Amino acid sequence: MMTAIPTLAVKNAKKPARVTGHGKLAAAYLAPGMLGFLIFIVVPLVASLVISLFDWPLFGTPKFVGLENYTRMLTGDPVFWTVLGNTLFFAVCYTVLNLVLALAVSTWLHNLGSWGPFFRVLFFVPVVTPMVANALVWRLMLTDDGVVNSFLANFGIHGPSWLSNSQLAMGSLIAMSLWQGIGYNIIVLGAGLNGISPNLLEAARIDGAGGWQRFFRVVLPMLSPSLFFCTVMTIIGSFKVFTQPYLLTLGGPGESTNTIVLYLYRNGFSFDKLGYASALAWALFVIVMLITAVQFSQQKRLVNYDN
Amino acid sequence: MYTWISNENDRAQWQAFVDAAKKKDPAFNLTLEGPSFTDYWTKVKTRLSSSGAPCIITTQAARAQELKDLTVPLDDMVKSNNVDVSMYNKAMISGLTVDGSLRGIPYDAEPVVLYYNKDVLSAAGVREPTLNYTTAQFTSDLKALTKDGVTGLAVPPGFGAGPGLPLAFANGNEPVKDGKLDLTNQGLVQDQQFAFDLAAKEKVATAPQASDGSDVPEQQFMSGKAAMIIDGPWMYDSLTTKTQGKVGIAVIPSTSGQGIGMIQGSAFAIAASCKDKETAFKNIMKITTPEVVGAVGAARGTVPSVESAVKDWAGNKPAADVAVVEALLKSGRPLVTTPTWNQVETNFTQYSGDGFRGSKSAQEILSTIANSAK
Repeated sequence: MMTAIPTLAVKNAKKPARVTGHGKLAAAYLAPGMLGFLIFIVVPLVASLVISLFDWPLFGTPKFVGLENYTRMLTGDPVFWTVLGNTLFFAVCYTVLNLVLALAVSTWLHNLGSWGPFFRVLFFVPVVTPMVANALVWRLMLTDDGVVNSFLANFGIHGPSWLSNSQLAMGSLIAMSLWQGIGYNIIVLGAGLNGISPNLLEAARIDGAGGWQRFFRVVLPMLSPSLFFCTVMTIIGSFKVFTQPYLLTLGGPGESTNTIVLYLYRNGFSFDKLGYASALAWALFVIVMLITAVQFSQQKRLVNYDN
Repeated sequence: MYTWISNENDRAQWQAFVDAAKKKDPAFNLTLEGPSFTDYWTKVKTRLSSSGAPCIITTQAARAQELKDLTVPLDDMVKSNNVDVSMYNKAMISGLTVDGSLRGIPYDAEPVVLYYNKDVLSAAGVREPTLNYTTAQFTSDLKALTKDGVTGLAVPPGFGAGPGLPLAFANGNEPVKDGKLDLTNQGLVQDQQFAFDLAAKEKVATAPQASDGSDVPEQQFMSGKAAMIIDGPWMYDSLTTKTQGKVGIAVIPSTSGQGIGMIQGSAFAIAASCKDKETAFKNIMKITTPEVVGAVGAARGTVPSVESAVKDWAGNKPAADVAVVEALLKSGRPLVTTPTWNQVETNFTQYSGDGFRGSKSAQEILSTIANSAK
């Protein structure tokens, strides 16, 4: 009942005099960012949508084909479903392993003491190293007569074809990607761990909670905002995987490591099918958007923003 | 001129054309621009779509179909300028003819050959192959050569660059028929399977990785870890001077022994967007005379497209090696492709690992590629 008075008061109150001038100022502040957003995001998005409705070669006159590229993608191109499946497999495995390992390592580093920052930097080095250089080093390691198999040969083990065996090639790509990308999540989760009040953990300890209980009942809920951020960013990044298959396996053997971005890149710039490549790009955009939307819809239920 | 300039060697090659043409016309000059060879085939399309595009571009017999919309037919200009195209290698002229019209003037004609390490062959007691080489003898030789850490043949993962297509050509089997892909013809499938089996069954070649460039098998050969390699004559200088051991060349093996050459080569063409096509044509003719292509062949190692200039390329090369190239130039057929050839090459490289490791047959792989690159 107490809240009725101010509500009524607000309803009966005179509207404040309109402050002029701020709208233009706000627009001026927003303009640089919005201009960039318009030029680099909105225009390419719309252009890509238009191109996807054409048979558009790199040179020559485009021909309007309506939804034919989308029809072909969904019903006439078996490779699309294969590369989509590969991308989903990569995204799921990479995201789960990345988050689990990053959480484990960041927790370990959080409790390591003075060596923690040193190892944190060490794990972060691959993130800032060019992906191409990383991939070339991993190629040297994983070729049939590479470093890994030479090492195994010392123990009389004939190493497999890490990059040319369809059962192992995707695993090799995931391993390389984890090595490359895990450092970023370690830093983010480390920052999240640093933000948890030691008093909370102390209180839990005094209440008799063991190490695992403190981790799952206190640390994880308090870390959920950082974990949510890492999950969203890692999933988006994993759907865009390109450099690893492009340099390590070329999408092979067969189609076993071909991913949707590699496939759309080749359609656009090697096979001269910009229209079809744009349709593939839109399929990827819609999939990533839906997955991200689902994640955000569960945010309130799964993420704890209480301090 | 818009062309591929991957490195200083490429730039020196194009400059050699200009320098040779200057001997007759001191005022002659060409401005050169372009990306690496790998990027060229994509970037030439975007470059020619933009304003101020160069008038002269380089093309290849194997790419003439793919670039046909970018280039103009030269037949009328050939007639009006009284150019005798019959002096150029017939296979190259045939390869550069698209829908009945000539799209480029060739400056080289390069039949793919078999390189072998004479020292390794001698150590294994294998006789050096010559102008007559059967696939049965080839297999037998590779088996004899594969020992003590040396494999018989170094193979790249590509289709045109790999051993399968030159072997198919040698037997008269080609991947394109009447302008359409014909990847599943029985002869081609059998020859590709033969190439796969060299690694998968006979174990006389190391199965390549999909990501291997042509440099990987070339390194195997040059370091003496592989006794033979199938490659173009454009590698002659590198392979003969940098290999551990003396190197010789032979024809590509075939069932009959009298293999047909697979000729690849490049040419100068006029961009469709060029405003002064006549001047561009006249400039092209200045850099494709027998004297110029001969001088470039002597200086840069490209096999001239004009028969009378081959002697300039031959120079001090061993007579047996020159005889091999001359024989293949005479018997050779051009590698003619389709506009979807890039897709064929890309897919083949992707799938070749399965073929060379025996997990998929040539029939399966070539059928899959034929279906996706229609």
